[in-house]
Amino acid sequence: MRLETAIRVRDKREGMLVAGIDVGAATAKSIILGDGEILGYAISPTGHDVKFATNKVIKEALEKAGLSTSTNTLDYVVSTGYARESIDFADKTVTEIICHAKGANFVIPSARFIIDMGGQDSKAIEVDPQGNVTNFVMNDKCAAGTGRFLEVMAQVLEVGSISEMGPIALKSKKPCHISSTCTVFAETEVVVLRAEGKHRSDLIAGVHKAVASRVAVMASSLSFKPDAVFTGGVAKNVGVKKFLEEEIGMELLVPDEPQIIGALGAALFAQTEFIKQQ
Amino acid sequence: MAQYYDDLLTLCGFEPEEIEQERPRIEKTFERLGIGPDDMHTADQWVRQNHDVTLQGVRKLLGAWLKELIDVVLAKDEGKKIVYFGFPAITGPGLMLSASSEDVFVCAPDMVLDHTMGQIFNKLTPILEAGEANGLPPGHALCSLWQAKIGGIVKGMIPVPDLALASSYSCDMGSKADDLVTAQYGTPIAYIDGVMDSHWGEYPDYLPERVQYLGAQINQALKRAERILGIQIAPDAWERSQKYSRPFVNNLLRLLELMRADPVPVSIAELELLEALPGSSTGRGIREGIKGMEILIHELEKRVKVGIGATQKGAPRVMIEVGHTSDPRVTHLPEDVGLAVPLTFILSWVGGPAIKIEKTYATPGETMAAYELAAGPFHGTDAMIKRLEMATEVMKLDGFIKNSLYNCRVSALSSHIAKKYLEEKTGLAVLSLEIDDFDSRTHSAVSLRTKVETFADMLKARKGISDGMRKVHKEQDLAKQVGI
Repeated sequence: MRLETAIRVRDKREGMLVAGIDVGAATAKSIILGDGEILGYAISPTGHDVKFATNKVIKEALEKAGLSTSTNTLDYVVSTGYARESIDFADKTVTEIICHAKGANFVIPSARFIIDMGGQDSKAIEVDPQGNVTNFVMNDKCAAGTGRFLEVMAQVLEVGSISEMGPIALKSKKPCHISSTCTVFAETEVVVLRAEGKHRSDLIAGVHKAVASRVAVMASSLSFKPDAVFTGGVAKNVGVKKFLEEEIGMELLVPDEPQIIGALGAALFAQTEFIKQQ
Repeated sequence: MAQYYDDLLTLCGFEPEEIEQERPRIEKTFERLGIGPDDMHTADQWVRQNHDVTLQGVRKLLGAWLKELIDVVLAKDEGKKIVYFGFPAITGPGLMLSASSEDVFVCAPDMVLDHTMGQIFNKLTPILEAGEANGLPPGHALCSLWQAKIGGIVKGMIPVPDLALASSYSCDMGSKADDLVTAQYGTPIAYIDGVMDSHWGEYPDYLPERVQYLGAQINQALKRAERILGIQIAPDAWERSQKYSRPFVNNLLRLLELMRADPVPVSIAELELLEALPGSSTGRGIREGIKGMEILIHELEKRVKVGIGATQKGAPRVMIEVGHTSDPRVTHLPEDVGLAVPLTFILSWVGGPAIKIEKTYATPGETMAAYELAAGPFHGTDAMIKRLEMATEVMKLDGFIKNSLYNCRVSALSSHIAKKYLEEKTGLAVLSLEIDDFDSRTHSAVSLRTKVETFADMLKARKGISDGMRKVHKEQDLAKQVGI
């Protein structure tokens, strides 16, 4: 995959320098592109102060790229994510659906179907060979198919993080059936099952199956077609990946760093816009 | 003597002499609704932010809703016998009752509250909360319109009706919510049972038995209404009831013809003010609405002539399901991201392709039933899809935004079916949007915006239009440009 090999640090600015920043409900992500190559990226919790989080994450990315931490260094910035319009140093905003499509197409050019699972939303996207969105669905107001669902369950089952849950889920021989469609009720259901003495791995696997099932149902109004790519923070969880693959009957390709794909898409838009302006 | 509300009412199309003449009624109404001087600034800003007040026709339409509000709030005080029907409803029986006696007042009060306490005063939430606290709790997929109606009654803003006219053939939740009014206040109900289902592919035909059954239901409901209200339905009530509904539909057709222009001459949020009016008012609201429409037609003709629009020329054109009844910001969303909206589904039904009833029927009930069945939407999802397909050509559409209301029995499922079939039949993109068209508390504005914006960019890409199109700002001197 092109992402890892493309990262290298520059000592000084050369040519065009653009950034993409994706401020999601749970994390803020930023990425710096220099003449089409990824120079650095950063991921940081969004927290309660969006401005602080965006400044922090862009500075970290600039630092990692070996550049001055002033946003004035950048020729063009595109923001995405739910807080995309509150980033004062951004030149343009693009929706995260479009950015994920563009970013996934960049790292995996054969991508035609994308599932993105973030902190508070999940999306399924059909794309053309150029990475343009041709159809999409996004969850409505329910958290049951999102990272937040897993976060709640990680707390209940005392697992450190969402990604740590995945390998435990894969150990299960008999996943529990979690039938509740609501995060809050599912939490109660898990508590009851735990009290019944169910194995933790079976409970965790059940939780993963439940979240995978939600997303698969949502995505089923589109056409699953290869190559399918899995992006967003939840894509780091091997358990969700496996159960989702079972649900949709197709292999999911996961980029090296799936959480920054939206920011990468934004950076690619920034690059295109800057070139257009020149 | 000028009062604190004069400026707002003037903004909403009231003439000075109307304000003077109606001052005692206005003051009594506002007092009952808890509207005072402190609300005027918010209302003024809210109206200017969401409506094109450079158009006198729009101001008159806002005024039409306000006048209907005054009439419903004071109906009991003024000795009227009050009949409420739900929305959507078979409005013919209500119109006939209204045409038969000056002492009878008939309306859909929930829609009136939405369009005034919501669209003008931005104070609908306490009314909805009162509905939620009195039999229609939140989170139970219960209709927000019914919450508004119950809330309005509980808060003493609108009077307890003397009769509820419940038609269940489109929305079966309405008749159940009327049960609640009966349980709490003893209000009698005249039910119009209906036949909701037709065979897939049946529309535009309909079985004669359905007309007979629905017609008989309407006739018996009218008889029951006569008994309860102590009135006689005049022999010419049906003809008289058409006195205002016909001109309304004719004006709507003229407006929709203007909406075919590119650029679309006015925001769909302004035509939303017309969507529910014929289904909500049988009195002053609809009469004043007709006057507003005539002014608006004149103003929009000028705009079309000089090419002024609510969005840029060449913008992708989409049909939306329905405008938001209480929060116009939601209705504006597609236009805010550069989509032109020439039509809504409801408008296509009210003013859509001409409906011809070949046969003449012996009773008003059957005549109404035949009309309702021929109109389409109440046939079922298949008829709805066919209507939308028809509109595709007429309005030169590029896509559809189909709302899915989780708490609406009529649309919760049909919108998902419609997405699939419309995509297949028209080849156009369809965005299914989960949204409550009557209550803006239940959705995430950010999430809605993301979906609509992505959809807009998708359509622009299909048309080969670059992005960056944004709505023409309504505060610009459009009025000067067209000499209004």
